[in-house]
Amino acid sequence: MAEFMNKPMGRRAFVGGALATGVLGVLAGCGQKGNPSAAGSTSGEGASGGTLRYYINNPVSIDPYNLMEDQGTQVGFQLFDSLTQYDFEKGEIKALACDSWEVNDDATEFTFHLKEGTTFHNGDTVVAADWKRGWERILNPETNPESPSGIGYHLAMVDGYDAFTAGEADELTGVTCPDDNTLVVKLAYSYADFPYVASHPALVPVPEVALEDFQTFFLSPIGNGPFKMDGNWEDGQYINIVRYDDYYGDKAILDGVNFVIQKDVETAYREFQAGNLDVCDVPATQIPDARETYGESEDGYTATPDHQLLLGGEPSTYYLTINCAQAPWDNVKFRQAVSMAINREAICEEVFHGTRTPADNIVPPGIAGYEEGVWPYCKFDQDAAKALLEEIYPDGNYPTITLTYNQDGGHKEIMDVVMASLKEVGIEAEADTNEWATILNRYSSGDYEIGRCGWVADYPIMDNFMYPLFFSTSGDNYSQIGDDAIDAALLEARATIDDDERIAKYQKLDAELGEQCWMIPLMFYTHTTVVGDNVAKFYLDPQKKADMSKTELVSA
Amino acid sequence: MGTYIAKRVLQFIPVFLGVTIILFVLQNVVPGDPIRLITGGRAVPEQTEEIMRINNHLIQVDENGKALRDENGEYIPTSLVDRYFNYMNKLFHGDLGTSYQKKVSVTSIFAQKYPYTVRLAACAIALEAIMGIGAGVLSAIKRYSFWDILVTLFTSIMVAIPAFWLGMLLQWFFGILMKQWTGGAFSMPISGAGGPSSPYYDWMHYILPAFTLAAVSTAYTARIMRSQLLDVMNQDYIRTAKAKGLSKRDIIVHHALKNALIPVVTYIGIDFGGMLAGAILTETVFNWPGVGYEIYRAITARDWPIVMGGVTIIVVVVMVINLIVDVSYAFLDPRIRLGSSKNEG
Amino acid sequence: MKYPKPIPEAGTVTMHTVSKATTGDGASRTLWGDAWKRLRRNKLAVIAVIWIVLVAIIALTCDLWAQQLLGDPLYASTAEMSKNTLLAPSLEHPFGTDVTGRDILCRVIYGSRISLSVGIIATAISTAIGLVMGALAAYYGGIFDTIIMRLADIFLAFPYTLFVIAMIAVIGNGIQNVFIAIGILGWPSIARVFRSAILSVKENDYVDAARAMGASDVRIVARHIFPNSVASIVVYATMNIGSAILTEAALSYLGMGVTPPQPSWGAMIQEGQTFLTTAPWMMIMPGLAILTTVLAFTLLGDGLRDALDVKMKDA
Repeated sequence: MAEFMNKPMGRRAFVGGALATGVLGVLAGCGQKGNPSAAGSTSGEGASGGTLRYYINNPVSIDPYNLMEDQGTQVGFQLFDSLTQYDFEKGEIKALACDSWEVNDDATEFTFHLKEGTTFHNGDTVVAADWKRGWERILNPETNPESPSGIGYHLAMVDGYDAFTAGEADELTGVTCPDDNTLVVKLAYSYADFPYVASHPALVPVPEVALEDFQTFFLSPIGNGPFKMDGNWEDGQYINIVRYDDYYGDKAILDGVNFVIQKDVETAYREFQAGNLDVCDVPATQIPDARETYGESEDGYTATPDHQLLLGGEPSTYYLTINCAQAPWDNVKFRQAVSMAINREAICEEVFHGTRTPADNIVPPGIAGYEEGVWPYCKFDQDAAKALLEEIYPDGNYPTITLTYNQDGGHKEIMDVVMASLKEVGIEAEADTNEWATILNRYSSGDYEIGRCGWVADYPIMDNFMYPLFFSTSGDNYSQIGDDAIDAALLEARATIDDDERIAKYQKLDAELGEQCWMIPLMFYTHTTVVGDNVAKFYLDPQKKADMSKTELVSA
Repeated sequence: MGTYIAKRVLQFIPVFLGVTIILFVLQNVVPGDPIRLITGGRAVPEQTEEIMRINNHLIQVDENGKALRDENGEYIPTSLVDRYFNYMNKLFHGDLGTSYQKKVSVTSIFAQKYPYTVRLAACAIALEAIMGIGAGVLSAIKRYSFWDILVTLFTSIMVAIPAFWLGMLLQWFFGILMKQWTGGAFSMPISGAGGPSSPYYDWMHYILPAFTLAAVSTAYTARIMRSQLLDVMNQDYIRTAKAKGLSKRDIIVHHALKNALIPVVTYIGIDFGGMLAGAILTETVFNWPGVGYEIYRAITARDWPIVMGGVTIIVVVVMVINLIVDVSYAFLDPRIRLGSSKNEG
Repeated sequence: MKYPKPIPEAGTVTMHTVSKATTGDGASRTLWGDAWKRLRRNKLAVIAVIWIVLVAIIALTCDLWAQQLLGDPLYASTAEMSKNTLLAPSLEHPFGTDVTGRDILCRVIYGSRISLSVGIIATAISTAIGLVMGALAAYYGGIFDTIIMRLADIFLAFPYTLFVIAMIAVIGNGIQNVFIAIGILGWPSIARVFRSAILSVKENDYVDAARAMGASDVRIVARHIFPNSVASIVVYATMNIGSAILTEAALSYLGMGVTPPQPSWGAMIQEGQTFLTTAPWMMIMPGLAILTTVLAFTLLGDGLRDALDVKMKDA
């Protein structure tokens, strides 16, 4: 799913596989236990590559079974390779664990030719049946009867999905394995972007042992990626992975990665400053200081010594979701007025010290098809907002609105500015704070007025911003939109095979949606990741996937 | 003695049932559909939802395990009582259910978390016993002295200090200032429980959280120790011993201390039970992977099986510890079991 | 057994001497007159009273002067934000400023309203419930007593902080709900104190006499039993205020208390946690406010207990 972000500091990455930047270095350093001053040293045995200490929050899952948010996905990327991956430098989808793929004329059948000779971390050879098993394991209601996976919907377009998830079929009939190295996926309807879906880090093969003991595999998954688990996931503490030497692709330089689990970015950053972490996120409030201390990376994605702070843009959007089925929000003019009343620049400048950019579209830059300024009401114009409000409420009796959000993760400051902005055009806003789990529940059942939300794509395509948010029966349609024209336009775009033509259709729809102001985009996310002095080269792609296999440490 | 223990165990049963019922009701009156909590707020296909409802015992099924429907084709929800009995039945088979979000069994989650809570509690209790008893004895034998006033003042402050704030002060002083002053040569770990990526020895991770956790209890221990020792010193047999010309040191060590310690040890025992319930604030401040933080996290995430299971385990543990303490107290002091056994807390 | 029990001899030297001195004091006939005299001689308790009165005055009057002197406690001016953020304590900002440039002293002052009102309202709620429950249990005894005391056992068997948090999770965030949750969950201890207080006076002759004269149960409790156990209730309630303030601070620290941008001491500590390295005053100042206020209520409770000689009445 596109994950609704809970914490602005913890975001997710999406594309699979290893790519990007090349570099070399060597290194290590033997951290001495009991010597806290050894900042920058690592606790490896001092072999060739060293161990990188990487901050994450406690993940929901590192097993593809329920791989949904950025924290677990970061680990999943290192353990598993999916069929495809998105190359941000070239802006195209390319093969990862397969050599190539073909699509039929109406985009309903995809044939993937798997790479030969790839193995799982337990030595088993990866065959087509393992892919089918991996995908079925996510969908099968018997895998974990009381608590099914929350990400099965990624495969909703695959033929046989409904019957299999309902427990009526023994297998996912849309996925077949003509031979060990061929995987054929048949879809229930045309969907030309399927190779992007296949880049999702949860859509990976699993070995037979995965079905034997759910719990063991869940805590220590066996994958086909460049790193393998070293011991179990110690909940709330750490996840350690080490290089898998029989990996089919380019082997990692690092000996391993310690994912150090911290409960929030503030604690993590203190540990980073104390030299106990090599890669960490920076709390928004510490950005100016971090800029000075660590130096900004030139491209925003590649860190080298003295250019250690990564502030590159991410293709994800922070927005206010609106319950458009309810007064006063069913009035499009009211939505437009509120959208124009909010001072987006103030949030980006004051709260995020200019690292984030004001949003002018629900689709963020970096996604093929993004156009500047197509959402006309995403601009700060108090006079226009006031004029609209006077038009709707000639008597000057503006409604008081209730703004729903969770206080953690630094949202408090952002919402303070939003409320202050609204007050300036005469709209009183009341805060309705709650825990994120409860808020999600209320959004999906339409039990709210206006609330904070974040949208991060699972795969970097326009469809992933439009179909989930605007399609009437989508589980993420929190705006409660039910518009046949929008539904028809989305399905039509999905079935269009030519890339340019398809994108043009999404763009046309995007402009129409912006006019209606179904939601209020506030800003586009950026990285705020910093690396320590001992990291020679580190690459974090726009979707926040760290390329661990190319990461290097400085020789101590 | 046997009857006393049996009576205490019997008293435990209604309390245990009461606790589980209250928790169960709380969980079931909270707004929000469990299915939505499991799927992270999104809708799932109808059949999948039906399977989830059956597996989570939310709707009634026929003998073949198929969902029953009423005349309008709606599912028939199971009654609260039915769900409760289902829960208790599973509980007696050692099954605490499966976490909504973590997807693994609640028992395995607590099997992993509990050792950290137990070890931290043990460290805190050791500190509490040593510092509390020491300070209490010191302030009793040097009554009205500078030391007495110091201990009294200090214990008053400790009782009034917010634990999480004390934890932060310790982090600030030992983790940050200490590091600056010594140029990085010495500092204490301020988060986590150690592990391979920590530059500190694992035991160092216990120091600050243990002090934080022990602070309030140490103050109580010192106060109880002081007053008990003063009480005992006024008893006849101590006066007799004094009259016999025994040294003050002898009297305290061989006679007074032994008797005065009984209530103090009892208090420490009960306090240990309380600490085994996990310390949400201490664990939160120090990012400690224990049961208190886990349950707190589960409450905020509405992961009810973890809350239910965790509190159930805690209540049993606390009650067993209290039972042991009560029984050993009764064993040491026969008056208790002869008199009223009603626990007046 | 009675653990944890009210801490014996909590005060300082002065208190012990006071207790001895007062045994022969027969000048004042009334309980409260006596108590006041004894309390006045307890230096710590007097300091505590002064501090509490001071905090109360500040909380009641801060609207009249705090904003003029120190600025807006809720919203800082966006225009001047960059020059005002995270200033260290100085003459102009005695407690420093926070990340959005708000004066911390001003927020601590406004935070006192939350703390004091939580302490008083939550204690009032738990005392009210506790009194009714305790009275029912002690006065009627038998099955009432068993049920109520067993219910108290059940409530006390829960880990307290977890119970409050779970309660808030059920009834929702917000300061009113904090009042309610702390208030409701505090009743068992008060009920026990009141119950034993009643039991100790119930068998007195004057109660029998009243009953013989045909007084109703409610009247007997209200007119005869309550006044005679009020001392122990006052002592207990005073100490309870301190612990209610601590609980509210903990809840706000965990993000379950006040709605931002309202200041609460616990929430301010949480905000300050981020700046432990760069702006420790953000965390230290509100903590000191909690410490001193709770300490004052504890010391006052200790002083009252000695002055009212509660333990003696209890026995």
